[in-house]
Amino acid sequence: MKIKDKIILWSRLKSPWLLHFNGGACNGCDIEIVDALTPKYDLERFGAVLKSTPRHADILVASGPMTRQQVKRIKRIYEQMPEPKFVMAVGACACSGGVFDGCYSVVSGIDKVIPVSIYIPGCPVRPEAILDGAVKLLGALEASSK
Amino acid sequence: MTIDPILLALIYILIFPGFIFLTVYGLFLQWFDRKISAVMQNRVGPPWYQALADIIKLLSKEVIIPDACDTVMFKILPYFAIAAVVTAALLLPIWTDALCSFQGDLVVVIYLLTIPTVTFFLAGWSSTSPYATIGSMRVLTQLFAYEVPMMLSLIGPAILAGTWNISEIAGFFTAHKPYMLAQIPAFFVALMALQGKLERVPFDIPHAKNEIVGGQFTEYSGRLLAFFYLAVDMEMVVGAGLINAIFLGATLGTAGILGAVIFLAKTLAIVFLLTLTKVLMGRVRIDQMVRFCWQILAPLSMAQILFDIFLKFRLG
Ligand code: SF4
Repeated sequence: MKIKDKIILWSRLKSPWLLHFNGGACNGCDIEIVDALTPKYDLERFGAVLKSTPRHADILVASGPMTRQQVKRIKRIYEQMPEPKFVMAVGACACSGGVFDGCYSVVSGIDKVIPVSIYIPGCPVRPEAILDGAVKLLGALEASSK
Repeated sequence: MTIDPILLALIYILIFPGFIFLTVYGLFLQWFDRKISAVMQNRVGPPWYQALADIIKLLSKEVIIPDACDTVMFKILPYFAIAAVVTAALLLPIWTDALCSFQGDLVVVIYLLTIPTVTFFLAGWSSTSPYATIGSMRVLTQLFAYEVPMMLSLIGPAILAGTWNISEIAGFFTAHKPYMLAQIPAFFVALMALQGKLERVPFDIPHAKNEIVGGQFTEYSGRLLAFFYLAVDMEMVVGAGLINAIFLGATLGTAGILGAVIFLAKTLAIVFLLTLTKVLMGRVRIDQMVRFCWQILAPLSMAQILFDIFLKFRLG
């Protein structure tokens, strides 16, 4: 790997900016995502900042089973994010539909709509799990580019 | 052997205290600000290389230019912002006298520092998305609120020193240190106005992220966004440097390394005050901000000017 690529990879690992998207979650997971940003867990020490526009974000943190209404929107938001971009599916719902699985109004799982990089199960997920997932995602990114 | 003066000027413009110094120190100040506010909020805060990593990552990301926006404007505005800020830095005394100083450079610096704000407005306006447009309107509204108190507060010391030259004002306060104490109200006004100019809490109304997404920068991504962020960081250095030069006597008559150390120490102190303001307060509404600027800051700085005129008559 050239030195330039190494520097770029390093910067990517050190500065993941998040965008939070609720795809029909019961709000349990969203509260936990907000939890992970509070002073107690302090995601900023890993360089993670919550951004509010898809244009600034690197990681789409999506929760919920993806209602049919939201499918169009999440696709559009995903396409608005600049490359390279990753998706974190947070919560049992986002992974597979969870308690809403089979419901007429949902598509059961974010991976039915957009490619997902990491699944974080739990109902709701614990903030520690979100941190762990973020660290694992960055680790996988590092390993894949070796 | 003498070094070519043109080469010296180039070094001054590009390396120290020009572009490279401003970049490094601006990124450092951004980290300092974030770290201090993290400590004040009982957090760990970002590591020391955070600002650098952010910038490199943004530089290496894809740049998306929306179809609906004004492409040329959208692309060139970030460079204008940076150019204006770096030019302003050349007129400030940083480690010794400024590269070029002349009567009236105070006015030039003030207007050069207005250019980034105008580019922010144009950036939001030319991206044509609703959030960016609202953000840019707020940028302008805010500009009208803080710009006048800022100018008024800087005029007071200029009247007292009897000159429009930044280096001479600094020299005057170095020679008459007790007069610095008489400028405390104007110093306070200038700090608050700088906070508004840098769009930091409590005046971060233009890019209030839980109301209007990313404000004027909503549509910006990758390299262009990186340059805008860099311009804001550099503006912090130049703004702190300007306040330092006008109110605190710049290098206090020293030059060389000692002068640079004094500059760094005093700008860090100013940024610490700005961070304190940021942590202590929550965001206000735009009408509250305008009222605060016009009902408190502007009269305060006018009273200061009046006081300075009387003081000047006493001095003869
Ligand atoms: S996983 Fe559980 S807590 Fe999270 S959105 Fe689904 S039902 Fe709610």
